[in-house]
Amino acid sequence: MTAKEGCVDEGTTGRRGFLALLGGLTAAWLAAAAWPVFRYLSPRPPPDPFAGEGKALVKGIAAAEVARPGQGANGSYGGRGVVVFRTPDGQLRAFDSKCTHAGCNVQFQGDRIYCNCHGGTYDLEGRNVAGPPPRPLTPLQVTAEGESLYVSPVSS
Amino acid sequence: MSSDLSPIPPEAEPRLPAPGSRAGRAARWLLARYPVWPIVEHLAEKRVPRHRHSAWYAMGGIVLFFFSVQVVTGILLMVYYDPGQPWQSVQRIVMEIPYGALVRSIHHWAANLMILAIFLHLFSTFFLKAYRPPRELTWVTGLVLAGLAMAFGFSGYLLPWDELSFFATRVGISEIEKAPLVGGFLADLVRGGPDVTVATINRFYPLHVVVLPLLILGLIGAHLTFVQVQGVSEPDSFRALPPEQRKYHKFFGEFLVAEIPVWLALGVLLVALAALAPRALDPEANPAASAPEGIKPEWYFLSQYQALKLFPGSLELLGQALLGLVPLAMVAVPFWDRSIPADARGRLATRLGIAGLAGLVAMTLWGWLS
Repeated sequence: MTAKEGCVDEGTTGRRGFLALLGGLTAAWLAAAAWPVFRYLSPRPPPDPFAGEGKALVKGIAAAEVARPGQGANGSYGGRGVVVFRTPDGQLRAFDSKCTHAGCNVQFQGDRIYCNCHGGTYDLEGRNVAGPPPRPLTPLQVTAEGESLYVSPVSS
Repeated sequence: MSSDLSPIPPEAEPRLPAPGSRAGRAARWLLARYPVWPIVEHLAEKRVPRHRHSAWYAMGGIVLFFFSVQVVTGILLMVYYDPGQPWQSVQRIVMEIPYGALVRSIHHWAANLMILAIFLHLFSTFFLKAYRPPRELTWVTGLVLAGLAMAFGFSGYLLPWDELSFFATRVGISEIEKAPLVGGFLADLVRGGPDVTVATINRFYPLHVVVLPLLILGLIGAHLTFVQVQGVSEPDSFRALPPEQRKYHKFFGEFLVAEIPVWLALGVLLVALAALAPRALDPEANPAASAPEGIKPEWYFLSQYQALKLFPGSLELLGQALLGLVPLAMVAVPFWDRSIPADARGRLATRLGIAGLAGLVAMTLWGWLS
């Protein structure tokens, strides 16, 4: 590059070194700023719904709604979805309702658990038997206490 | 196929990177599609005069640095701020979110330092007489930008919804209310009702994060384009030098490279200020409570606040009218003081500017101490 009239042309080696130092300082400055920004934006882990009593209240389903065989309903616990139903032989069961394929909430349909989004089908044990789901549903321990239902993790 | 591509200008060839290099290929690819070589050349030739007041040319860049910090920290605050639960969400940012107090305090400090830098930029431009033709519109857009920055300050101040922000906003809007004829209507429009409530936040929040940013980005674009097209102004003392004694810095490569370390240092200063003097969150606003003792506006509104105190009772309208003349007079300056080199009018403008600056500083100090 030709020096413009009146402009000061400095030595190239000193200038190169200065530019490298400046680039390094700028990079260090940006890196120092990046960590707080990353920590600030990182979401907190959601609270454990079973913390405290070891069980979580099921909202949106009364015990009476699943009192007879073949009855089922969708509700929530600790901000997550749950499907609760009574099997034809009278067992009360609950699964986390999030379909293992794409995250829609599944539905109890008498003889099966079905996902309306892509036709994923699970049996009443929660096993993925047809359609795209890659894994079984997450089972939950369910208990009725008066009119309320509670779920807790299945002890393995 | 290549008929619609533009040829590389012959004068560009020796100044582009080697044709075989990756940078050279990219530059030629772009120039064939966007024939902007005259603009590139214009910018490459941009130069900054070297004289003992040269440091003032850095003030605009410093304002831009603080503005960039405001954009980044403002977006970060928006991630957790909730206008439906303003105070609680700010408390969560400060108490729970990692580095949330730091982000909030930097947003506060960069806002204040940006306003300070705007004042320095404005007065240095004034005393170097850079507003004279052909730069009238650069001056006027700069004044509007300064007004927008203060509107940012006023609208952002309410958002934490603590005691101080509530009463400051109530008092500020009551000044609008006193204006004749339209005052009451305008104040209700700004507040979203007869008093400052959460409904006011629902107005100030989109103003602060959408409307004002769109306006200020457009105006910054115009302001900077004017500077790029016309180049940096030269003070009379520099223009009076014989040509061989006029020295310049290249803007890109010299002046800008020298300004980057200043920005880095200001970034460190912001972190230090945020750590040593973090922005407090007062108790949540209680519209029924009495105003806290010693409540005052932010320092950049103190001079107006103090000046209005000089016009008690029925004289207050007169005070408002006189204060309203100040920005109008500032807009008029480049259309009144046009002569290069400065004539008697130019020297009077400088003296009036010194008086104005002294008045501003004195009123601010008086308001601060009283």
